[in-house]
Amino acid sequence: MRYLLSSFCLLFLACGSYPKKQNFQIEQSTTSSFHNPYFSNASKDYVYKANITVYDNNFSGIFIVKKLGDHNHRIVFTTEMGNKIFDFSFVNDTFKVNFIIEAMDKAILINILKKDFKVLVEEEMFIVKSYSLENTLIHETTLDGKSYFYYKTQQLDKIVRVGHGKEKVTFLFSEISDTIANQIKILHSNIKLDIILKSIN
Amino acid sequence: MRKIVYILFFMVVAVNAQTKMSSSESTTLKAKVKAHATTINTLVSDFTQYKHLDFLSNDIVTSGKLAFKSPNTVKWAYTTPFKYSVLFKNDKLFINDEGKKSDVDLGSNKMFKQLNSLIINSVKGDMFDDNEFDILYFKQELNSEVHFSPKDKEFSKYIKAFHIVFNDEGHVVELKMIEPSEDYTKIVFNNRKINTSLSDAIFAE
Repeated sequence: MRYLLSSFCLLFLACGSYPKKQNFQIEQSTTSSFHNPYFSNASKDYVYKANITVYDNNFSGIFIVKKLGDHNHRIVFTTEMGNKIFDFSFVNDTFKVNFIIEAMDKAILINILKKDFKVLVEEEMFIVKSYSLENTLIHETTLDGKSYFYYKTQQLDKIVRVGHGKEKVTFLFSEISDTIANQIKILHSNIKLDIILKSIN
Repeated sequence: MRKIVYILFFMVVAVNAQTKMSSSESTTLKAKVKAHATTINTLVSDFTQYKHLDFLSNDIVTSGKLAFKSPNTVKWAYTTPFKYSVLFKNDKLFINDEGKKSDVDLGSNKMFKQLNSLIINSVKGDMFDDNEFDILYFKQELNSEVHFSPKDKEFSKYIKAFHIVFNDEGHVVELKMIEPSEDYTKIVFNNRKINTSLSDAIFAE
């Protein structure tokens, strides 16, 4: 019985809300939406050297993002020698696989990549609640039914996807110049998948 | 009316700036390239790679050095804008990604194996294999351009055609790999040096 009780306690703690666990203070938000600037300039080609680690396999290559219009982004990953690994389109709420090599053509993997990349290219986020922690402002938003927390100090420097009060995926933006994040890390805590991007243009 | 005829005439001329070779011309080119390829023991060259994706404003430009040692060791070393090299050696692919090393056993990977032999043959310019490719020969002023379309269905899912430009000496000056989507990778070679002595360190794993 005691064991059961402590299990309940643990369960209760584990399910505590993310903002509470992080000691966020609730803030009155002055705006209803938040803008992610990093892939929002249609006149720019965003080109990164990428390292994708899936379990113990490492794929390196060139990661390209291009905004083709409102709610229209293309994301392509090629090897350094130019061979395409995958080519995705995000248009409004639709997602299309234009190309993917057979070795990666797995629905589970494509779905994870789709969710991750959608966060990168989604520009206007509706704010559900706002919080603060020291000098950081945090906006809670939702995308495709999942909760995301956008951390902003000077600029947007972190996005966290949260499920059951826990961090599932962390997006880190650093070496920011103007509206370009020269380094981006996408780190998964429940699966062994990390994506590291370094700008090369 | 006459104007239209003139315009049509010039259009035809413009299209034909690259003309098909006669069979004797293509035989001569093949012989020249093959003869040249057999004399190559080592080769070094600078290269500039242009990755063309139709939706981008600009091609992605990378550059570096290529080194080849007969019979089948090749190293592509990218130096700008990042340091990355692939070394094809003893049926293995050794990767050095900004100091992080890894290797792939080519024996288990058909795609890489094909890529390896293709790279070696295209560096030497000797890929005139009618069993593997549909081949078309063109001339453009002093240069020759040969289009190789892979017959293998699996392979042609990735690369629709290779276009290789040879100079009048039969050296490869440009290699273009065209994907089924028409996006392509173009590699332009410069400062080519043949049969200079190359230190083993270049091909160290």
